[in-house]
Amino acid sequence: MIRNRYLLPGILFVLALVSVACTQQRQPCLTPKTASLIIGAIHFKTDTSTVPVDTVLPHATFYPVSSQQNFVTVYPPQASFTVSLSPDTGYCQWLFETDSLKHTPDTVSFYYQRNAKFLSNACRFTYFYSIDSIHTTHLIIDSLRILNNSVTNNVNTKHLQIYIHRSF
Amino acid sequence: MSIQNTCRYISTAVFSCILWVFAVPVLAQSDPTAVDTLNTANLKKHDSAGRQLCLGVDVVRIGANSFYSDRYAYEFQADYYARNEFYLAAEGGWGGSKVNYDDLKYTTTNSFIQFGFIKSILSRSSKTDWDMMMMGMRAGFANVNRSPVTYTVIDSVWGNTGTQSIGPTSFPVFWLEVTGGMRVEIVRGLFAGWNIRGKFVMNGKSFRDLSPLFIAGYGKGDKNANFDFNLYISYGFRWNRKPAQLK
Repeated sequence: MIRNRYLLPGILFVLALVSVACTQQRQPCLTPKTASLIIGAIHFKTDTSTVPVDTVLPHATFYPVSSQQNFVTVYPPQASFTVSLSPDTGYCQWLFETDSLKHTPDTVSFYYQRNAKFLSNACRFTYFYSIDSIHTTHLIIDSLRILNNSVTNNVNTKHLQIYIHRSF
Repeated sequence: MSIQNTCRYISTAVFSCILWVFAVPVLAQSDPTAVDTLNTANLKKHDSAGRQLCLGVDVVRIGANSFYSDRYAYEFQADYYARNEFYLAAEGGWGGSKVNYDDLKYTTTNSFIQFGFIKSILSRSSKTDWDMMMMGMRAGFANVNRSPVTYTVIDSVWGNTGTQSIGPTSFPVFWLEVTGGMRVEIVRGLFAGWNIRGKFVMNGKSFRDLSPLFIAGYGKGDKNANFDFNLYISYGFRWNRKPAQLK
């Protein structure tokens, strides 16, 4: 026969677990919610170079075109940037400058397919994207190269390389 | 580390310790030198205990219903003493959840049933001793009905999307669980007991397109494994008790 003294601690333990569980009704979202397109800037050092090198831009600036928000992202000197794609349409544009003082932006146009994705009840829904094509003007940008056309909430995947003119 | 993770790790550790503690007497019982006339006598004594059908209700679930505003569940259990400290066990119940966030709204309801066994790992002190420390396994099944879903994707750059919707659906959920705990007869026929369960979903990928917030019987729908606990109050119906063959 089990002595009743073992029952009470067990019941108290279970009740303690219940009380802890009851305080956890709303879980925090611990994964990235937005699928962002990650861009790397590179350039060739000379006309005869065959291997491009990462290009640290002094104050790269991105403006979403036709955004409902007045949104500008100015980056500190670095060679990697992120932009988000519009979840409402299959097309969006960003204006891009290498330096916020130069005012010679290029327009980069993104065309893509959208796929609604349920992350979790804590993180809700988001959109993942499959890029069809990307077009740009060529004031600062020499050319583009799509590295990965699947844009998800994986923050470790680089999707696009921007080749900058040597003279930027 | 969040409180949730801490709670999960503590639950896992406690559950593992319980299984380990239970394993010690089980190993001890496998001692081959213990085969003697005493075992024969114990077997006769167990047989004289008769049959027992125990029906119970999970009072933790009832209590938790008043704490949670977004989910509810009712859970009942039954077990039948077969032989040799081996019980056939079943649990069943129903429940649901309601997600009413600004950017996600839906409800789910489900009923569930699970079957398995319980093995008492303590020997009886007498034929009237039905207390037990136990471990067991279950196979569970639930049929989940989900209402139409409406959601909005919030985007700080481009603005929120319009409200999207997904139609209603139903889908099955299968899981396996291991359980351990104890049960004590408080007064004649009336038991109180607790147990802890580790549950592992078998077909989680089939409903990952929108995992339910809560599945009664299983737990959080977007987790591949859940740890759960129950406090049962139950009553045992007994019959066919034979006179003890031991002096």
